[in-house]
Amino acid sequence: MRNQRRFVTAAVAATTMVLAACGGDADSDETTEGTGAEGNQADAPAGEDGADLSGTLTLSGTASDRPAVEAVIELFEAEYPDVTVETTFADTEPYQATLRTQLTSGTAPDVFFAWPGNGNPGAVQVLAPNGFLRDLGDRPWADSVPEGMHAVTDVDGTRYLLPMAFSGIGAIYNQAAMDEIGAAAPETWDEVLTLCQTAQDAGKVAFALGNQTNWVTQLINYALAATNVYGADENFVDSMAAGDATFAGSDWVGTMEQYMQMNDAGCFQSDPLGTSYETTIDMVATGDALAVVQGTWAIALLAEQAPDGEFRLAALPATNDPNETVMPGAPSGTFAVNAEPAEPDLALAFIDFMATPEAMNTFAETGGSLPAIPNDQYEVDPALEELIEFQSAGRTVPFMDQLWPNPRVQEAHLTGVQEIFAGETSIGDVLQTMDEAYAKGQ
Amino acid sequence: MKRFISRPGAVGAAGPPDDQPGVTARPDDGRAITAEPDIGTAGRINGRPSPGRPRWRARAVPFWFLIPALALYGFVVIWPSLQGAAFSLTDWDGLSPTKDFVGLANFRELWSDDVARGAVRQTIIIAIAVTIIQNGFGLLLALGVNTQIRSRNLLRVLLFAPAVITPVITAFLWRHLLAPTGAVNDVLGAVGLGALQRDWLGNPDLALWSVVAVIVWQFAGLSMVIFLAGLQSIPREIYEAAAIDGTGPIRRFWYVVRPMLAPAITINLVLSMIGGLKLFDQVWVMTGGGPGRATETLSTLLYKEAFQFGAFGYSIALAIVLTAFVAVLASVQYGFLRRQEESAQ
Repeated sequence: MRNQRRFVTAAVAATTMVLAACGGDADSDETTEGTGAEGNQADAPAGEDGADLSGTLTLSGTASDRPAVEAVIELFEAEYPDVTVETTFADTEPYQATLRTQLTSGTAPDVFFAWPGNGNPGAVQVLAPNGFLRDLGDRPWADSVPEGMHAVTDVDGTRYLLPMAFSGIGAIYNQAAMDEIGAAAPETWDEVLTLCQTAQDAGKVAFALGNQTNWVTQLINYALAATNVYGADENFVDSMAAGDATFAGSDWVGTMEQYMQMNDAGCFQSDPLGTSYETTIDMVATGDALAVVQGTWAIALLAEQAPDGEFRLAALPATNDPNETVMPGAPSGTFAVNAEPAEPDLALAFIDFMATPEAMNTFAETGGSLPAIPNDQYEVDPALEELIEFQSAGRTVPFMDQLWPNPRVQEAHLTGVQEIFAGETSIGDVLQTMDEAYAKGQ
Repeated sequence: MKRFISRPGAVGAAGPPDDQPGVTARPDDGRAITAEPDIGTAGRINGRPSPGRPRWRARAVPFWFLIPALALYGFVVIWPSLQGAAFSLTDWDGLSPTKDFVGLANFRELWSDDVARGAVRQTIIIAIAVTIIQNGFGLLLALGVNTQIRSRNLLRVLLFAPAVITPVITAFLWRHLLAPTGAVNDVLGAVGLGALQRDWLGNPDLALWSVVAVIVWQFAGLSMVIFLAGLQSIPREIYEAAAIDGTGPIRRFWYVVRPMLAPAITINLVLSMIGGLKLFDQVWVMTGGGPGRATETLSTLLYKEAFQFGAFGYSIALAIVLTAFVAVLASVQYGFLRRQEESAQ
């Protein structure tokens, strides 16, 4: 309904747009031939026209970012009353498929979400080399993107993405449930196992695990490998890229063993393979489970289900020295501009607007994450205090798949974990399959 | 009531021998009785060379009337399909403007790929299991609601209802019902069958059968409707005659009903075989091909290869294999069933 209404507005706006761009009378009833706004608008410096801009901007994003993106669009449309933003949102898989089809057929939106780094079909390092993305290095905000993110926002030294938010992966605790059994968030690996026992004794589940949803299967490994592998050896990513390190020959083995140790210790509810992501959110929201190892995006969902609840994200410790603990943290809500947008000025105006502290804070607050470009206007959500601490102390590493050369590595990981839980394969075999997939390169 | 059984003799006795017995029988006999047997013989006359044929040919439409429709079909379906099939010989990634010709490399990879072979195996298991179980249930249901039980119309509607729901929606529904803490396990626990509680979709040995069960639940009603239509076209007289000849219900089904149902059986078996082979939505929603790869089918695999990994050339090779499977299995099955049908007549 909403899009339909916007479409009508858009159609009206589109007919008057060319006139407006030429400095003509926008109220004129004259219709203009053709669709060619490009030629006339190309001369106008983007963003400097401010409220003079008009027209319809197209944007697409993933469904999980929808509330945050819509909040930003609302601000944008208030600032540019003559501009309409037409949006499309889809879940990860259909989004990837649609975006790629649109890009190859030249019908992609002006501004769209693209995954940071590599390792999936919609990632910036897959799309940019094909010439589909606009170089954003000339934008006023380009230099303020934190250095730690460059590895996943840039391709060959060129910046293609504006990161809106910073997300982390850790254990999200239901504070009330923790208080009820008198437990505190563990800071060492031994305390993790103790918590599992305490929870069981109290008739609760320590960590809800929804391994039926395949992307959930990787999160505990990411949380533990951040400390075990990527924190312990800062050069691990480079060594792997150079062929000097492998999954099977690294502490990924110990990481997966710890995952299974948690399983054996009864940290999870029974039948994780039959449990979906949605169910685990329910379990934590109701307090049946104390925590779930998830990304920051789950906090908003938990808060929605239990508006009075208090949820906190904390690192999942992998060793017995709390100082060694590192969290997976990565830019999210990363947006790119089409290399050949239908509305170049609007696209740039929008992406520049997204980079303002106002838009970024709105995005972060709505989406339950931190603003990607830190600013002093942001009021820290208590749920995310620990993530900010880790971020500012430089104790975060990118999500692992963002630095893998192709999507098959992640797929091997996801199905591998399911097969390990089903008792059908071994840790060594899974890691070896991942190594083989990694070796295939781009 | 013995009149039908003895009809051939009656025709011979009542009128002069004629090469169109169904037609000449009419003036001699009572109308209600002869009209019914005509239904049974109609198929025979059209199915084989018979005196009726020349008349049909005279009314035939010139073949070039087909050209507009064929041209459209060729442009919209055949040509793009061939064009697409050609991609299976390339390494196109779905994104880049260039692609290289790689010959049959994609097919060779498919043959040596454990994942693809597993998908082929699971696809065939699903197709065969669905075909047998769904039609078995469908037939039993059809026989059940074809009786005089009072609520038969309501039952027919209820049993057919699942078939009109979008498969994706039923799949979401069943994913919740079959969850470890879902309704199915709750019910089993409540009636004291706690020992039968399972992780229906999370156990790799069970997941495939859970998927099959959901498909059967949804489409047994569709098979039922087709069987029911077949059953209702069987004249009452045949049942009565068989009853008078003293056949029991099982023999009556096997020797009287089954042959008359042959066209319905053909349609049902072919449709459910094809549906099972190309199965995508239910698997995708309920298990995503998991746990691990336990429920991966050719359709889910080719979707993943194309849209998640960008291996378009390889996924089109998979699609061609799937198409070949459907074509070969369906035509073998159809040919076999046609022979059955003809021999039944």
